[in-house]
Amino acid sequence: MLSAVDVSFAYAMGGGGRHRFARRRPRPHVDPAVPLVLEGVSLEIPAGGLVGILGPNGSGKTTLLRLLAGMLRPVSGCITLEGRDVAGMARAAIARTLAVVPQETHPAFEYSVLEMVLMGRYPHLRPLQVEGPDDLRIARDAMAMTGTAALEDRRYDTLSGGEKQRVVIASALAQSGRVLLLDEPTSSLDLNYQLEIASVISRLNEQHGTTVVLSTHDLNLAASICRTIALLREGRIVASGPTRDVLTPDNIRAVYGVDADVTMHERAGHLSVVPIRLSAPVSGRTPSAGRLVGRDVSPAERS
Amino acid sequence: MTSSATALAATPPVRRALLRSVSACALLFLATLALAPLAGSTQISLSRALDPTVPFAANTDAQIFFIARLPRVLAAALVGGALAAAGVVFQALLRNPLATPFTLGVSAGASLGAMLAITFGPAISLIGLTTVPLASFIGSIAAVAIVYALATARHRGFSTNVMLLAGVTMNAFFSALILFVQYFADMSQTMRTVRWLMGNVDVAGYGSIAAALPLFAVALAGAATLPRALNLLSLGRDQAEARGVNVLRAQQIAFISASLATGAAVSLAGPIGFVGIIVPHLLRLLVGSDHRVVLPCSLLFGGAFLVGCDLVARTILAPIELPVGIITAVIGGPFFLWLLIRRSEGRE
Amino acid sequence: MKKPYTRRFAPLGRSTKGGSRAAPKMALTVLPIILALCTASLALGQAKPSRIISLVPSVTEILFAVGAGPQVVAVSSYDHDPPEVERLPRVGALLDPDLERVLALRPDMIVIYGSQQELAQKLQAAHIGTLSYRHGGVKDVLATIDEVGRDTGHADGAATLAREMTQQLDAVRARVSGHERPRVLLLFGREPLSLRGIYASGGVGFLSDLVAIAGGDNVFADVARESVQAGAELILARKPDVIIELRADPMSSSDIARETAVWDALPAVPAVRNRRVVFLTGSEMVVPGPRIGRAAERLAGAIHPEIDR
Repeated sequence: MLSAVDVSFAYAMGGGGRHRFARRRPRPHVDPAVPLVLEGVSLEIPAGGLVGILGPNGSGKTTLLRLLAGMLRPVSGCITLEGRDVAGMARAAIARTLAVVPQETHPAFEYSVLEMVLMGRYPHLRPLQVEGPDDLRIARDAMAMTGTAALEDRRYDTLSGGEKQRVVIASALAQSGRVLLLDEPTSSLDLNYQLEIASVISRLNEQHGTTVVLSTHDLNLAASICRTIALLREGRIVASGPTRDVLTPDNIRAVYGVDADVTMHERAGHLSVVPIRLSAPVSGRTPSAGRLVGRDVSPAERS
Repeated sequence: MTSSATALAATPPVRRALLRSVSACALLFLATLALAPLAGSTQISLSRALDPTVPFAANTDAQIFFIARLPRVLAAALVGGALAAAGVVFQALLRNPLATPFTLGVSAGASLGAMLAITFGPAISLIGLTTVPLASFIGSIAAVAIVYALATARHRGFSTNVMLLAGVTMNAFFSALILFVQYFADMSQTMRTVRWLMGNVDVAGYGSIAAALPLFAVALAGAATLPRALNLLSLGRDQAEARGVNVLRAQQIAFISASLATGAAVSLAGPIGFVGIIVPHLLRLLVGSDHRVVLPCSLLFGGAFLVGCDLVARTILAPIELPVGIITAVIGGPFFLWLLIRRSEGRE
Repeated sequence: MKKPYTRRFAPLGRSTKGGSRAAPKMALTVLPIILALCTASLALGQAKPSRIISLVPSVTEILFAVGAGPQVVAVSSYDHDPPEVERLPRVGALLDPDLERVLALRPDMIVIYGSQQELAQKLQAAHIGTLSYRHGGVKDVLATIDEVGRDTGHADGAATLAREMTQQLDAVRARVSGHERPRVLLLFGREPLSLRGIYASGGVGFLSDLVAIAGGDNVFADVARESVQAGAELILARKPDVIIELRADPMSSSDIARETAVWDALPAVPAVRNRRVVFLTGSEMVVPGPRIGRAAERLAGAIHPEIDR
């Protein structure tokens, strides 16, 4: 469905000046002295998968997510969406297949919930076209899926954190039901809302087959809903595969420098990570390990 | 549920709003345009003005109507609409409801150009424009070009933060230059500049309107492609990009069209304040924040608003004529204060 | 601040020829004389300043016309008349008076604008006499001449000047009396090559007075202000028979032709239709000073061209 093939990236300092009106971002000019934010990353996300991208701050999670979304162009390697190179696709075409949910959304003006959700339909409209009854129906379905139907006429900025995030997810769903990329979806939320969002994401994936990729620094969130995990450190994938194979005390120590206990929590029904203490500082770069070979992992196999 | 209620619920809000609000604003605009030339400091007879049997050169009523009043009503409609629309676009571009068309230095550049023309300028007439409008337009373009260059340097696309800083700096810098030029100006030149700064739509003829019209048309053509992108941009740059907006191009078109409209408006009538901020805010209160509705409504309402203000300016103390900028300030100042109070209360 | 005419007195009691008995006798005769001279010089010292600065161009002209020219040590940035002022130092004007330069020149009298309150206070604190000028009509010009004459010790020169000017004005009045008074629009400013920013004389002030003296009817006589910003509609409504534009700087004939052509946008105005748009240039037309008599003559010539000089 969505994959990164041997992708490397650095934030360029120059280039692109003459391409101001180009339809796509050109390949950035990279000064060899600029360190790579991502190096040799390969990741394959199967249709219907629920993948978590984990790593400490600065490991390149958000960059990887943005590359997958087609918002950045890799310095080398390529990103493919449904088999096509994302770099060759029009922005609107990408947007019709793949939607992004950012960590926080702060509109500069006051919109109603329905208006926010309907904005997800814009990639599907022709230049001077305005939403029609079909778009309204799709938007309402998306709101039903995220439990926000009752909020339709409320103003977005009057909602709670959890409600806001659900509305944004509804908007992303209205945009595309196929692939959802979420960047730190629960980081700024209270505990109750975290659970709420996690269950919405899970339900979307299980009941509606939405492919979900989320990046997070919350190991327990990833443990609770992701079936596969890619663990990043300093721009390289350290480990990827089924959750229980990746979330191990050794990997956690290698990436975070923390001694942690990873146990199966019977009542919760999934792995739980409990940090114990700092371990000795980790030195040197760990070699990238393995590709995530795509196979659909059933819920039963998750734990 | 009655059938009409179901039918309403099945129509997306934007369609309802477009129908209702835009047509209401269009009606207001046309009505104002039709009625304003009929009123003024002098009593005229419309039938005599339109009487074809009286030769135009001798028909005072006709000349008042067609040469004195109609051009200034048209100019006010164009300038008011341009400033209001530019205000909407700048507010969306800078993601700040307090932005005005003058935030980015356009008007400061225009004012410097005008002052230089008044103090040192030769008397020239080119394509229907005299020295002051020409110089102020050049000044506004210069300011815009500097801000644009600064905001797009380092090939990082468009930095709205840099743009805002550059604009504020331009305002301060050009204001300082204006004070400097003032030392070379004599009394009458200073008075002329001060008067120009208060705004004046009395264009006395169609020449300057005709010259400015292509600029307004180009700006309008650019802005017409923007409303959807502006909605998405107001959510954030990444969000807009993720929904298929070519963010760089949208920002460029927004900046250039809004600056062009503002530059042309200020060159024609001087820097008339408050229109660019009252009208967008008022309309957002009335019709919501969807730019597909707010932009056309602001354009129409802004034109009607300035025509109305000019009518008040030229009749309230007849035969004395007040500068129209004073009327917009008298209305706009308190409105703006009320708006700020309302916003801060809302925050609490 | 040194008063120029204050005398320094020799201490009493200095020995003179005649011995000790002559001293008290001398004191008795000299003392009253000295006292009288003291009072007189105090009075005279106030009345005849020798270092005058003028910030007001019209009063500068008046100063020179009454004979106080040699006492003027500095003028404003905008002074050009009479020619003698060109070599005098400049000290700013209405908006930007340079107080430092003013004080450095050690004046004993300064002519300022009535609106320059702050400046007046500072000068008072420095014990410099001020003459406060207020813009007004022809009467006020004559009153200012009178005041300047008194304050500078040239009352005679002032009286002569006033008499000459009054005679000039009366002569103009006489010449135009009996003739029909055309409606006159008197402008003293507008944007070049366009009809925007027109400033016309209202019903108050020396320009309006001069129009009346020169045998015209100011179209804005009913407006109780010195200046009126006149839009196209107002000009069309007031139907002036003659339009007179005043300019301080000279104009070439091609300039005059181009600026006259601008009025063709309003052919319904009688002045435009009958080709009676006149340009009068020269500072005498815009300065309410000693030359208003000449200004009135020129205005009369423009308003009543049919009258032979």
